[in-house]
This record gives sequence, C-alpha cells and structure tokens, in this order.
Amino acid sequence: MSAAAIAVDAGELPLGGGLLALLRPALDALAPEGVVAVRSTQPGVAHDLPSWCRSERHQYLRAEAQADGSVLHFVARGRFGVPRVVGDEGDAHSGFAPRGARVEPGGPPHPYALGDVAHLPPAAQTRQLYEQAVQAQWRADELPWQEARPLPPRLENAVAQVMTFLAENELSALYVPSRFVARVHPAFADAAQFLATQMMDESRHIDVFVRRARLHGAALGISSVTTSRSLLSLLAVEDFTEAAFLLSLLGEGTFLDLLRFVEEHAPDALTAELARRTRADESRHVHFGSVHVRHALAGDPRQARRLEDAVRRRAATLHGAGGVPAPIADALTLLAAGDDTPAAIARGHAHFRALLTTMHEGRLKRLVHAGFSDEEAHRISELHTPNFM
Amino acid sequence: MNANILLGAVAYDPKVVTIWEGIRDYFRAAGLAFDFVLFSNYERQVERLLKGHIDIAWNTPLAHVRVKQKTEGRSRSLGMRDSDRDFHAKIVVRTDAGITSPRALAGKTLAVGSRDSTQARILPLHFLKQAGVELERVNLLPFDTDLGKHGDTGTSELDVLRALAEGRADAGAVGDLVWVNEQAAGRINPQSLEVLMTTPGFDHCMFDAMPDFDDARAEAFTRALFAMQWENPAHRRLLELEGLRQWLPPREEGYESLRRALDETNGW
Repeated sequence: MSAAAIAVDAGELPLGGGLLALLRPALDALAPEGVVAVRSTQPGVAHDLPSWCRSERHQYLRAEAQADGSVLHFVARGRFGVPRVVGDEGDAHSGFAPRGARVEPGGPPHPYALGDVAHLPPAAQTRQLYEQAVQAQWRADELPWQEARPLPPRLENAVAQVMTFLAENELSALYVPSRFVARVHPAFADAAQFLATQMMDESRHIDVFVRRARLHGAALGISSVTTSRSLLSLLAVEDFTEAAFLLSLLGEGTFLDLLRFVEEHAPDALTAELARRTRADESRHVHFGSVHVRHALAGDPRQARRLEDAVRRRAATLHGAGGVPAPIADALTLLAAGDDTPAAIARGHAHFRALLTTMHEGRLKRLVHAGFSDEEAHRISELHTPNFM
Repeated sequence: MNANILLGAVAYDPKVVTIWEGIRDYFRAAGLAFDFVLFSNYERQVERLLKGHIDIAWNTPLAHVRVKQKTEGRSRSLGMRDSDRDFHAKIVVRTDAGITSPRALAGKTLAVGSRDSTQARILPLHFLKQAGVELERVNLLPFDTDLGKHGDTGTSELDVLRALAEGRADAGAVGDLVWVNEQAAGRINPQSLEVLMTTPGFDHCMFDAMPDFDDARAEAFTRALFAMQWENPAHRRLLELEGLRQWLPPREEGYESLRRALDETNGW
C-alpha cells in the first residue's frame, strides 16, 4: 500500500471534462513513484483513468470504495518527462525557458553562443541598468518642437548636417546590438533585454535627429565614406565583449562629449533638449559597456591586450581615412560659432578643437575606469577612429 | 546498399518515412548495416517475410499472429513498444442511448472500425460475444477504411467517434489510446459519451523475424533498438512519431485472445 502524497477531489468531473486539469499538475509536482489519490464520484473515471495512465506511463495502482459512495483512485507518477530545474546559467536544452522554470527533458538543443558568465556583463548590474532604461523611456513628441524658430540658412544647414551624422551613427548603434541579442542564452535574458532598450533608444534617437534636421525644410546632410567605413567595421565585430568595448565604451563614450557639445552650442531650446535627452540614454549604454568590459578584464587580464588589438585592427582597416569627416567638422564649427562672420567662425573653430581634446580626455577617463592602465588607455584613445564613433 | 538487416514496415502514413529514415540513420551511427523497405499493406509484408525477402517485419498484432501460425510458432519475436502492452478496447455509448449493459446493445447500432483492426473490430466483437452479447442482434455500422493497414491509421476509430457524436450510432468500439487521447485533447463531449465496457488487455505490434534469423543480428538489432532514450532529443522525435516512450522485449501471452477470436470467426 502506498500512501498518497497529494489528494485531489475531482467530484463528478469526467476525465475528458476537467479532471486532468487537477490531476496533471498534481503529478507534475511529484518525483517518479509519488502517489496522487483522486476522489471521484464519476463512474466513467474507473474506465478512463487506467487507460490514461497507460497512455502517459503513469501507474494506476488501485481503487478504494469510500463510505460516501465516492471512489479513491491511486495513481503513481511514471518516470518519463520529469521536469528538471535548470541552474542559473541554463544549458543548450533549456531553450527559451525563463530562469527558474522547470524544463521537460528531451527538448532540442538551442544554438546560443553567449551562454556563460565570462562573456556577459554581471546579471545584477545589467538588471539594474535595464530597469533604469525602462523608467527613462521618453517620446519624441515630448520635445518642444514648436519652440524652434527657423535659423539663418547656413546655420540651419549646419544643424541638419550634425543631425544627419548623429542619425547615421545611431542607425549603426541600432544594428550592432541586434547581432548579439539572438546569441545571448535566454538564461541571461537581462543582457538581451538591456540591448532591446538600447535598440529602442537608438530607434527614438534616429527619429528625433532626422525630424530636427527636416524641421524647417532643410535637406539632410552628407554621409561621408569615412563614416561609412568606420561604422561598417563595427558591424563586422563578432565578439560581444569587443563590440561592447568598441561601440559602447569608445564609440558611444565619445558620442557623449559630442552630444554635450551640441547641447552647449545649440541654437535653440529644442536642439539643446534633444541633445540632453539622447545623451542621458547614451550614458546608460556607455555604463553598460563599461560594466561589461570591466567584468571581462577582471576575469581575464589578457583581455586588455585582445581589446587593444581589436582597436588596432579597426584602425588599420580605416587607415588613410584622414581626420574628422569634413562635413561634420565644418558643421560643428558653424554650430559653435552661432553665425557665419569670420570672428564667430574663429571662436567656433576653437571650440571644435577643444572638443577633440575633451573627447580624448573623456576616453582616457572611461578606459581607466573600465580597468585599463594609463598607458593602455593612451594607446587605445590615440588609435580610436577619427569618426568619433 | 550493403545492409545485413533489411526491415519491412507498412507505409500507413507519410510519417513512416520520417520514422524509418531516422531509425536507419540512428542504427547506422550505432554501427548496424541496416536498411528498410515499405509495403502498402501487411499481407504483402508478411508474404515477403515468409519468403525471406526481408529479415524483420514491423507487424501489427494480426500480422504477428499470422507469422507465428505460418511458422508453426518458430518465428522470432524481437521487441515491441511499451505502448503495445496491455492494450484495451473500449465500448463507448451515447449517454442518451439507454444502454446500461453489454446485452442492451441488442437492437442498437454499434459503430466498429476496419475489419482488420484488432482494437476497433476483431477483439471488441470477440469480447462482447464473451460477455453474452448476441452479435447477430446488433446493427453493425462498419468503417472499413484503410484495409490492409490493420487499423494503424486510426482513421476508422475516428470515424466511429464521429458517428457516435453525430448520433448515427448508439455505441462504438475504439482502442483505449484513441479514446483517452481524444478526451485529453478536448475533442470529446463528456456529457454525451461514456464507456460501457473496457475489454480485457491484449498486446499490439511486434518485430517479427524468421526462425533462421541468426542470434548475432538479432542481438545487434535489439541492443541498438533498446538503447533509444526518451530523454535524448534526437531519439525522442522518432519515439514520439512511433508512439512509444521505450522499446521493450517481446512477450507472447498478450496475443491469445486474438488467436481465439480468429479461430472463432475463421479470420485467419
């Protein structure tokens, strides 16, 4: 006689009329050979339950008539399909099961390449950044679009050129993380979820930059070959840590200084506000990249050399690309000048040169913060693409 | 193709190709020189087994007992599915038909499956007769679909359930697995149908080989077969299609009722 671990009162329910909705979860809670007692007043159950047990490889043990006319049916759980709790790191066969789910064995292996802690940023910090990102979402129509008055044509065109450059870079920042989302094991879904917020941010940024460029009827600016080459080299990166390093830490890090420059020299409150808001988003992405790289360097100091090599390879492919692309250099100069008189342009150009220094210093600070030595940080910053990103 | 084990199976459904190509690949990976051929019906498959054109036949119970009879009990039984053991048939009745005992089937319409279906025709009628039902007084509504497939397709059992649901029959005979699986899938109205009788158990399919099939090949075949694991994703796909969780050794006692039924009805 086996004592039942679980009792289910199925009343008059027929097997095909709801009884299984009580019995199956009860059996799923048991280890093989664990027993469920089903109280039933439905005569058909005596025919159907043993057959169902045969079909599902559970063992129908016996029936006991009760004084009240009901029958107790005893079922022992079979040995097949016992769900297993998957550890925090998941495995190939846990598939899309969320962390902590009980997974039925025998499922197909899934092809996630990024399924170990060494190649992903720490989950707790990732989660925190993800939640911040969800909180910080905003809509393009919250910006003060009506308050921007048309600017003199040269200045308006400069704004359009800057916005074109920003949108182009943000398009690459939308595509690059997308390559890694599908490679992250769902047990580390926080990383994929953070990347999703990053992609949503970039998508919104693309919209506001293009909308600002066209606000007063200006045409979009020029996309230079240097920019195109530089961004393509980001898209080609196969390693997640390298991508976090090149795109988020270096590229978007440099972008923070560029957006602060745009905000400081914005010709209207709208442009200042959109630069401020997008920079707030970008700083989260930089933070994520920094956490990721710091984690990688802490786990394996040889990573520093590997990441430096990645910058070196990228610089080599961009060799001969020259300095900052002329259209964006000129547009930033004009933006900082505020008007096109020679005296103003001289001031604007001084601001532009100062921006390059600020960017270099910002990169050094972020590289050291991420765990590189001063010497490494200097070498890496010097190698960084003249395209800013 | 060099194969020292050639197995025959009946192509009762397109999935049979998937099943046997999968098992063939699995066997070959296990070092077995194995291939298969498909037949359109079990009569042809049994004939070819008896003539030695194939080494092993994956047989229905009807084909199995015929092979045993033709070889005077000397054929070799190699293995079966866990689901082949303790099969039962169900006599299902409409709750509004007023049938409370097997004898009350007299004068009523009983839907049955194909005449070569063990679980939906041969044994239900055999066991009803044993229970005292005068079969000649029951109006049979037969669904002789897929003859030659011995009820493998399950089509005639679904026809029986449909006839019951639509009121064209008062009662019907189906296999236990079809009955509970249709219920579990929510395709049976539990208010309108119930089981009148569950037959005694009987066994179902079997791998049959001729008496001269040697021990070495039989051993190699069953060793590889029994090593298939439900928890292994590649195996599970095949086992699901073939309707089992594990392969089991053969046993003969589960076919006695079928032999008696064939004796009584000149069904050999």
